Amino acid sequence: MSTLRRIGQTIIGLLRELGDENAYRRHLQAHGRPHSPEEWRKFHEHRLARKYKNAKCC
Amino acid sequence: MIKKILWAGIAILGAYALGGIALNRGESINSIWLVTASVCTYLIGFRFYAKFIAAKVMALNDQRATPAERLRDGHDFEPTNKWIVFGHHFAAIAGPGPLVGPTLAAQFGFLPGTIWIILGAVIGGCVQDFVILFGSMRRDGKSLGQMAREEIGKIGGFTALLTVLLIMIILLAVVALVVVNALKGSPWGTFTIAATMPIAVFMGLYLRYWRPGKVLEVSVIGFFLVMFSIVAGEWVAQSASWAPWFTLGGIALAWCVIIYGFFASALPVWLLLAPRDYLSTFVKLGVVLMLGVGILFVRPEMEMPALTRFVDGTGPIFAGKVFPFCFITIACGAISGFHSLISSGTTPKMIAKEWHAWPVGYGSMALESFVAIMAMIAACVLTPGVYFAVNSPAGIVGATPEAAVATISSWGFPVDAATMAGLAADVGEESLFYRTGGAPSLALGMAHIFAHSGGGRALLGFWYHFAIMFEALFILTIIDAGTRVGRFMLQDLLGHFHKKLGQTGWMPGVIGASAAVVLAWGYFLIQGVRDPLGGINSLWPLFGIANQLLAAIALCVATTILIKMHRARYMWITCTPLAWLVVVCFTAGWQKIFSPIPRLGFLAQADQLQAALDAGKVAASQIAATQAQIFNNRLDAAVCAIFLILVTTILIDSIRLWYRILTGAEEAKVVESPFVLSQLRPEEI
Repeated sequence: MSTLRRIGQTIIGLLRELGDENAYRRHLQAHGRPHSPEEWRKFHEHRLARKYKNAKCC
Repeated sequence: MIKKILWAGIAILGAYALGGIALNRGESINSIWLVTASVCTYLIGFRFYAKFIAAKVMALNDQRATPAERLRDGHDFEPTNKWIVFGHHFAAIAGPGPLVGPTLAAQFGFLPGTIWIILGAVIGGCVQDFVILFGSMRRDGKSLGQMAREEIGKIGGFTALLTVLLIMIILLAVVALVVVNALKGSPWGTFTIAATMPIAVFMGLYLRYWRPGKVLEVSVIGFFLVMFSIVAGEWVAQSASWAPWFTLGGIALAWCVIIYGFFASALPVWLLLAPRDYLSTFVKLGVVLMLGVGILFVRPEMEMPALTRFVDGTGPIFAGKVFPFCFITIACGAISGFHSLISSGTTPKMIAKEWHAWPVGYGSMALESFVAIMAMIAACVLTPGVYFAVNSPAGIVGATPEAAVATISSWGFPVDAATMAGLAADVGEESLFYRTGGAPSLALGMAHIFAHSGGGRALLGFWYHFAIMFEALFILTIIDAGTRVGRFMLQDLLGHFHKKLGQTGWMPGVIGASAAVVLAWGYFLIQGVRDPLGGINSLWPLFGIANQLLAAIALCVATTILIKMHRARYMWITCTPLAWLVVVCFTAGWQKIFSPIPRLGFLAQADQLQAALDAGKVAASQIAATQAQIFNNRLDAAVCAIFLILVTTILIDSIRLWYRILTGAEEAKVVESPFVLSQLRPEEI
């Protein structure tokens, strides 16, 4: 059961990482700020600007 | 002892399956043979070859702090669970390449492509990705271009940058051509893909204003909306008033993609690109999983023979013999230079412990190679007659369905017009003839497997359009992200001449640079659509050569790193695939430029057209088009020559440096970041 739970947690973790939700959580923790729409927008713009400096793979 | 027996069993099973595939002739085999051979070979390669490289050559050390730990900033640099990094890296390297390449190479039969996918990955592609990831990880996550500049020299760095820019232009043109050919004359497909744009914009607004930060939530909503758009696509295709709006020819679709590329690259990223990228990433992972399960569940028979008569170079999809063209047609899936950009991008900044690079670098590529095997299976479960009818251009098989089936049947692959019409009706298309580019035949194969897993023939149309949507979704993401990156590179370059042009926030500069990049790849796209030989015949080999040459550059960097680490006795690890790629790419490049066969050689085709023009054999209405074709063939030859010259430059520069280091004329300076003891606790990852 614990193995299944671990696999499930890893899959959710992967989806959250791919969806930038983990990065946002880390951003809030690192800066000690609460979640707010404005905070998300600032974080997201900054993250996407760096993310799309690189081409997508073929 | 049990472990040794287990590994011996895997090795014997893999060898038996590989032997079974290679030696079987005259009767169809089950796809499970390919699955067994590939999975066993990947496991052996991963457990023994990759572990040997990790332990003996790279000397990975978990006591050494990685850049993710030393430079931790919560954004780019963050120690992350190894399976999450594995999935992240896999999602980043898996694009349309491993799906389309094997589908096209199936014209030689399933054997050459399958052997190349398996061995090319285990000996070449996985090694390239792994060594470059390691090199970048030991250099604070530096990019391939930076490593080339620092390890080889300024010429190497500049060559790498220029090659990346050129390969991107060809890549964007060829993937756009795949989408255009898949949607040509298909109101169902065109509506579905068009609908993904407002859906993505809705997702962008939802994420920014209504439910900020809820990426997974909005992706689930987006997925259901896309599924609904596939269902609605059928209604549109059946509607007498709506269908004409979405029934477009090749040129009209090409212009739509070009205009889309321009706006998408200039719009804010959060509005269209990012939400669709989230959606396409999740759909991609889901479909790969579904396809794997579907193949295991259905275990379809391979209808395509192991080898076809087209190994002699007379194939209808693209010209050229099995050597070297099979090996450049399948790049991603066996070895892809583009991966070295990902391995030296985000991934090295997320690796928590050095040994995690083993499954992430080598293992992710092995998984992508397996995706290519699944694509090969999906293409080869179609009867060969159907496969060639879908993938052959009218210029080769004849402009009417009757002529096409007669030509294809005369090759020994029987097919009739009624079968093709029935299949087209099953998937809700007007016709399936001349759908070059690989995407439609891959979608047909995938639909065949999915429909046999559940739903039967009644759902064939849904699954076909689901597969087309899946392919087009991430191809469009590549187009707008690639155009944007091309624009940044161009603005960076122009900034040296005029400061304002380099500012990414200055609107005239943004518009001008976006237009220039879009027109560059758009030119090749239009050329491909107008090409009577289907476009794929000229553009896909150019793309394959460029991609493999980028891999050659990456392997030059990797070899230099090994030599500088005093591991010269192991340089065969990177030199073996490098030597193979140089032989393959230069042979293919030479043939594409200088072959006297007009279908194969760009210059020969230009000369043939010029001779026809000079002899007055071209109708007056066709003179302008013929002149454009002559120019395009010469342009393609020039582009191919530029690729070869660029790589010759970096190769000579690298060999010169290796010689100087190995003879003691130059000191081997390792430019790794200093050793810092890792303090990372297991619970932190």
